[in-house]
Amino acid sequence: MKKKLRARLQAFGGFLTAMVIPNMGAFIAWGFITALFIDTGWLPNKNFAELVAPISKFILPILLGYTGGKLVHGDRGGVIGVMATAGMIVGSDIPMFLGAMIMGPFSAWVLKKFDQLIDGRIPTGFEMVINNFSLGIIGCILTLLSYSLVRPVVVGANDLISSAVQMIVNTGYLPLLPILNEPAKVLFLNNVIDQGIYYPLGMQDALEHGKSLFFMLASNPGPGLGLLLAFTIFGKGSAKETAPGAIIIHFFGGIHEIYFPYVLMKPITLLGMIGGAMSGIITFQFFGAGLVAGPSPGSIFAYLALTPKGKFIGVMAGVLVAAAVSFVINSFFLKVSKAPAESDEFQKQQEASKAMKQEGKDLLQGAMTEKKNDKAEAVKATEISFIVFACDAGLGSSAMGANAFRKRLEKEGITKEVKNFAIEKVPQNADVIVTHESLYDRSLKANPGKRTITIQNFMRDPNLDMLLNEIKESSAGGEK
Amino acid sequence: MSNICGIRFQDKISDWKDAIRQVAQPLLEKGCIQESYIDAMIQNVIENGNYIIIMPGFAMPHARPEFGALGNGMSVLKVKEPVMFPGDQEVTVLVSFSGVNPEEHLEMISKLTDVLMDDELVDKLFSASTESEVLEVIA
Repeated sequence: MKKKLRARLQAFGGFLTAMVIPNMGAFIAWGFITALFIDTGWLPNKNFAELVAPISKFILPILLGYTGGKLVHGDRGGVIGVMATAGMIVGSDIPMFLGAMIMGPFSAWVLKKFDQLIDGRIPTGFEMVINNFSLGIIGCILTLLSYSLVRPVVVGANDLISSAVQMIVNTGYLPLLPILNEPAKVLFLNNVIDQGIYYPLGMQDALEHGKSLFFMLASNPGPGLGLLLAFTIFGKGSAKETAPGAIIIHFFGGIHEIYFPYVLMKPITLLGMIGGAMSGIITFQFFGAGLVAGPSPGSIFAYLALTPKGKFIGVMAGVLVAAAVSFVINSFFLKVSKAPAESDEFQKQQEASKAMKQEGKDLLQGAMTEKKNDKAEAVKATEISFIVFACDAGLGSSAMGANAFRKRLEKEGITKEVKNFAIEKVPQNADVIVTHESLYDRSLKANPGKRTITIQNFMRDPNLDMLLNEIKESSAGGEK
Repeated sequence: MSNICGIRFQDKISDWKDAIRQVAQPLLEKGCIQESYIDAMIQNVIENGNYIIIMPGFAMPHARPEFGALGNGMSVLKVKEPVMFPGDQEVTVLVSFSGVNPEEHLEMISKLTDVLMDDELVDKLFSASTESEVLEVIA
């Protein structure tokens, strides 16, 4: 039981990663635009700054929704994921990242279930119509549903966080705040909290005392720095590679949003963020540190510029302590989670290859029976004049396969068009597609209704011999 | 065949990912690919399956050129003890390549196809144990 739960959690973490990673580039591009062109940026530019809000409100959540959907159910999943995400975004004032990460995969899952239900029951020739309309109708319903049911829940959760923050502020025990701040931040609610609660309080406070701690409660760049450093050293894959660049955008550019995806793909790091932010606040309190105004964006430079005279040490100490604590805790989590994640991946691979094998067997049988039908119906075979070998890129394996098959045909004195393509680029006028059994699903999706022959290797597969024989027989018959 | 970046031999490699890394090493050293191309080749097998095994015992790791191919090149790795690829496929000969120039690439593919269609040459390739024996077949 326990094992199962752990495996599930890991799979969930892997899913979050897969949803976020392909979109890192967009987050970085947005981070640059924001750091450079907003009013308080490096090169303020009114026109370019107009990009900031729409990209964070629409484009980034839609990308997450699309990727999440696509992971669950391919291109169709991606498309319906976008529709459902749109239902979340439209009409809400806060960025809908959480919503997108829920509704994207969920809507794709619904569509997948539907597709499985009708699989094999669609009359030939109606695939396109049914596929488009099923997505259209289910997409319409889910979009309306996410607008009217899910969106209010997320908005409500946001309000709840805001009032909880207010409550803690009232008790005066400020180091507890990160418990709410940090999760809210990574869901892109940082501006809501900062500008809605902390900065107004900070301004009152600063009027009285010349400086305020409220300005630093959620804007301390230290914890994010610690997290990104931990990823730089102990992360893996593209998360590790992109982290150093993210440090520049986050710590010097003050765009905290850039580190949110790292937390989203490994939610356990929230503990490190909370720990870092807490120790930062405690350090600030210890030194009696404060800023004279709200740092926006929260970069180290904004911090230093807004530090009142004589408080430099306190401010720096708070930032550095926060970074150090966050670094230590997050490094620990990254290190311990590394090994099981890898074995999990390995396990998945094994399962996938097992499934592939079974699928291959089924398909082989399918191909055989299909072959029999062809023999009975020799007319069909004479129609083959354009054979396509397809693989992922259409450059290597399929090129070899097409080359070899063309040469075999030439030896028999038969000239047919034999070409290689990437699966998604197979021309419409192809008469038959030859592809590897592990790519069959993808090929079917990209080329529905096309006769597809699956093989286990591109050079010497018995199914290729059968195809060759079939063409040989039919062309001999055609000459008669 | 032109652009042969390296031919290597190993007794045993326990992990197919490692085998791909090793066969790609000469391409990396000769500047035909970037590090990212190697990851892409491995990812390709994880995502798309073992279709790069284009005939029993023979794998042809490659990736899309946009994942870090810098030049046209080819490298060979022979492993004495079969390496297990996903799907329980045993591989002893790996030929990795990168291509940016389509004409050169097609020429290479065509020549390699000729080799693999010829049973005698295939036998020679599988039993070759020195660089010159491999070159004799594929050059």
